Amino acid sequence: MTLSTANTTAKGRSMKFDVKTAGPAIALILLCIIGFSLNPAFLSEGNLSNLLTRSAFIGIIAIGATFVITAGGIDLSVGSMAAAIAGVMIIIMNNAVDMLGTGVATVLLGCGCSILLGIGAGWINGVLTTKGKIEAFIVTLGTMGIYRSLVTYFADGGTLSLDFAIRGAYRPVYYDSFLGLPIPVWVFIVVSIVGWFLLNRTAFGRYCTAIGSNEGVAKYSAIKVDRVKTITYMIQGLCVSLATIIYVPRLGSASSSTGVLWELEAIAAVIIGGTVLKGGYGRIGGTILGALILTTIGNILNFTDLISNYLNGTMQGLIIIIAVWLQRGDWGKAKASKT
Amino acid sequence: MPDGINDIFSVLQADRISKSFGSVPVLFSVNMDVRPGEVHALIGENGAGKSTLMKILSGFHDPTSGRILFDGEEVVLPPNGGAEMLGIVLIHQELNLAEQMTVEENIFLGRELTKNGILDRQRMQAQVQEYLQDIGLDIAPTARISDLSIAEKQMVEIVKAISRNARVLIMDEPTAVLTEAETEVFFRQVTKLKEKGVAIVFVSHKLSEVKEISDRITILRDGQWIGTKEAGDMSLDAMAQMMVGRELSDLYPPMREADVDADRVLQVANLTAAGVKDVSFDLKRGEILGFSGLIGAGRTSVFEAICGLEPIISGTIHVNGAETRFASVAAARDAGIAYLTKDRKAKGLLLDKKMRPNLTLFSLPKFVKRFGLDIKSEDAALERAVRRFDIRARDPDISVGDMSGGNQQKLLLAKVMESEPQIVIIDEPTRGIDVGTKQQVYHFVTALAAEGVSVVVISSEMPEIIGLCHRVIVMRDGRTTGTLEGDGINETEIVRYAAGLKGEGLE
Amino acid sequence: MKPFSKLGAMVMTGALAMSATLAHADTIKIGVSYPTPTHAWAAGMNWHAEQAEKRLEALYPDVDMILVNSSDPSAQASALEDLVSVHKIDALVVLPFESEPLTDPVLNVKKSGALITVVDRGLSQPGIEDIYVAGNNPELGRVSAQYMKTRLKSGDNIVVLRGIPTLIDNERFDAFMAEMEGSGVNILDHKHANWNRDDGFEVMQDFLSRFPDIDAVWAQDDDIAIGVVAALKQAGRDGDGMFVVGGAGMKETIKAIMDGETLVPVDVLYPPSMIATAMDVTVAAFKSNGPVAGRYILGATLITPENAASFYFPDSPF
Repeated sequence: MTLSTANTTAKGRSMKFDVKTAGPAIALILLCIIGFSLNPAFLSEGNLSNLLTRSAFIGIIAIGATFVITAGGIDLSVGSMAAAIAGVMIIIMNNAVDMLGTGVATVLLGCGCSILLGIGAGWINGVLTTKGKIEAFIVTLGTMGIYRSLVTYFADGGTLSLDFAIRGAYRPVYYDSFLGLPIPVWVFIVVSIVGWFLLNRTAFGRYCTAIGSNEGVAKYSAIKVDRVKTITYMIQGLCVSLATIIYVPRLGSASSSTGVLWELEAIAAVIIGGTVLKGGYGRIGGTILGALILTTIGNILNFTDLISNYLNGTMQGLIIIIAVWLQRGDWGKAKASKT
Repeated sequence: MPDGINDIFSVLQADRISKSFGSVPVLFSVNMDVRPGEVHALIGENGAGKSTLMKILSGFHDPTSGRILFDGEEVVLPPNGGAEMLGIVLIHQELNLAEQMTVEENIFLGRELTKNGILDRQRMQAQVQEYLQDIGLDIAPTARISDLSIAEKQMVEIVKAISRNARVLIMDEPTAVLTEAETEVFFRQVTKLKEKGVAIVFVSHKLSEVKEISDRITILRDGQWIGTKEAGDMSLDAMAQMMVGRELSDLYPPMREADVDADRVLQVANLTAAGVKDVSFDLKRGEILGFSGLIGAGRTSVFEAICGLEPIISGTIHVNGAETRFASVAAARDAGIAYLTKDRKAKGLLLDKKMRPNLTLFSLPKFVKRFGLDIKSEDAALERAVRRFDIRARDPDISVGDMSGGNQQKLLLAKVMESEPQIVIIDEPTRGIDVGTKQQVYHFVTALAAEGVSVVVISSEMPEIIGLCHRVIVMRDGRTTGTLEGDGINETEIVRYAAGLKGEGLE
Repeated sequence: MKPFSKLGAMVMTGALAMSATLAHADTIKIGVSYPTPTHAWAAGMNWHAEQAEKRLEALYPDVDMILVNSSDPSAQASALEDLVSVHKIDALVVLPFESEPLTDPVLNVKKSGALITVVDRGLSQPGIEDIYVAGNNPELGRVSAQYMKTRLKSGDNIVVLRGIPTLIDNERFDAFMAEMEGSGVNILDHKHANWNRDDGFEVMQDFLSRFPDIDAVWAQDDDIAIGVVAALKQAGRDGDGMFVVGGAGMKETIKAIMDGETLVPVDVLYPPSMIATAMDVTVAAFKSNGPVAGRYILGATLITPENAASFYFPDSPF
């Protein structure tokens, strides 16, 4: 059978495939319908804009996590990393006021440091897993504790607050809009596009998938496994720093409670989106939907008093499990495999 | 009905079995019967339906139509291995062992012996020890599976089946990964089982083995039952012809004379690495150089070290006269050296991916255009490769894991050749593939050499080495023990060097 | 249970007599044990404890305070053992991590003869502590509601942001609701914001999308209030007489009240400095000629521009 004549058999297959990948999108649409029927204000411009902006943090981090997970790794440190970067960024900017003033220069310095810190923290995670040959779970569990306690230490147990004088210059990064969309949403869009291209259209993306699918094959296929894996953690770090850059101007503060459980939300978003937790298959588009689904659940729960507040976690848990089940369930698919 | 099937009482019988997967028919009204105390070989090219038939006989698949008779009575076999309770055991081609558990734990998995509710390790270990001694396998019951070689794992799998008192033992290519010596041990065990009255069905691509061990042979081709014959009545050629359905001209292409004056493209001197001791050899342009020896003799390790897969302890490597040492597989690839692994599933192909990403993975930098991958040129490469290597897939979107072994091997060849290497090392080029595909691979290797590519063939199949190579190096315990050339390449010589009866290291 | 507490009481009388004699003979060693600060309120408490240590030791040369913080209940239990065995303390000021797991360890300290002062979180067995110093959670809810009523009229709408679902949160919330009852003010909804700025911001954003008419917000906590204020400003709904009432006494909030901020015009005190109060009272048990043992429930004072200055500690992290 040649390549061009196989379309008839391929069709049924790809149709099924589409339904599967559309799972998260369907779940999101259903959630929106539920939200709208509970309260029409759910679809108001203001709320949609809030939703998208909120999704940006988890979404951007989750895009980084998509690379790590696709390549067969895991990064539990992202939430603490965000808090630590936010803390250090605030300290640096507060101290730079005397030298650079309260304008854009200080903000840029803060952002630059954030990016360096993020990439550096990712590099540490990557090198410890690859060269140190320690399981990613353990390495990032360790760095998670370290970053979390560092921010507590920097803040002296309390809250680090950004100098009010700088906020004027920095505030627009969170609160302003461009062409009707808040800046964080634009950042999210750009990161998504770059992430999608990187994962689906470059050799690097292919290498991530290959490593996650079978590290042995990757090694024998002339792939520098350690380097690629380390880079995935650095991408994760970069994404965390970008999320932090748009997070800090929101409230201008960081404390030990910043970014708590973000790692789990990011991982959940990635998995809801259809990426396989054990690696080898990643979907940036799905991750974006996953992040939107997670924020929408929280948003809808705030929009109704039908469900006891104490059961919020139950609702979130149920929806996450159902969303993944919809995708994974073997819907009567006869497993056709020949000799 | 073939050759008076009802004359002797059959323990397990397939009667006009057909099977379709969705709309794809795989078996057409196939008959087969197995008698107590016989070895019944099932042969056919890859994709002929052998695995499907075996799975139907062991209850892993339901037939679409037709009957299964067990002890003469029509039965519906319980699914998912439940047929083991009836004494029908299938040993899968993919070994089914828990890697992190011990030999003993694996053999007793699911039917552990207990005393007062607590595992009776002593008794289990003693029994396993007995089985292992029986089969002549020198491993401890407490050895971890992940520490064993593929051959040893295969033997454990067989011990596991034997320990279950199988009445019908169905084996999918049990000898594919065994050396000749191990195969011999294995056949002795099979003969013992046969004497006990166990019915044995086995699939093999090694026709000489089939001839040696089996009583009857059933041949399948393209899902059709071609015939069941007494093994004694069939020559190897006749078997091959029935399988392929056409005259098989010689399996090996005519040997082209090696050019003695050709440049030496690869010179290895005093190479020492893990499992490799002081190995030296040369490879000429356009030469096919064989590496023979027992499994574990260090043949693979030599080339893994050369190709940057394993660290080198000492020694020098010259490629085209220039000294070099590759820090990575990528560096070796860029210098025109490619290694094709024998472990297709764990190191060769991404089984859950389609053909295209597999084909281009090894030489992906070639397909990068302005930061992005050039999907069009990947597609073109796939089309070329499918033509050049005659890769047949039901559907271009199929996962590679669902392709037959022969087509996987051709894809793996295509993958490595995509980097256009000047030196290619092919480790076990025909492991687990049918005779038709073997012939294609041999012709391909010869054609490559004719084009001026130097080929190293590492193989445990003696005829392959003898039929294909200009020169043969034999290894034992990490050292080269001999080099054979021209008429000097014959089975006895190779065996003497491989077994340590003759060689450079011996006084 | 009964005979046990009787025994405790007997030991207690003996202990008081003993420590009184010890006090005059030698230095008075007072152990102070509390959780490692991991959030701003606790960091404030840590700061106040350190301040009180300096002040009291300067005031009384024969008083030696030993401050220990622990990162989890079992670490705190070990710390208590060390205070007894290594430091041989005469009194213990303890803010238990959790009531249940620390009851027995504190009882053991008591058996060593030390005076026990428990701060904020009570033990699960009555009668162990000699002195109890705590903030008043129901009072915090009540005072907040009373202030709300002075500013709102019947038919006005408010939303409530609660803390982490715990007993403390319930006490505050229930008292608030009870006090609001009959006022005619509509409480549109209440959601948990977990004493966290980010959650305060997001919950408030959603309240603003959901309810077009909100006149005031009870945020219960200063951290939540910071998020609420940011959300109000973002939505442009911070004018028109809108106001937010938090709680605790964060220095930034108090500073803003001093400066006449209208969006957060008042605060309700639940002070981290209660640890200092407890240390003072404990020292007084050795130094005062009056009786000291008993329960000290601090008022949930309403902080207004008029009295704010006396609750402002610019150097504290909280």
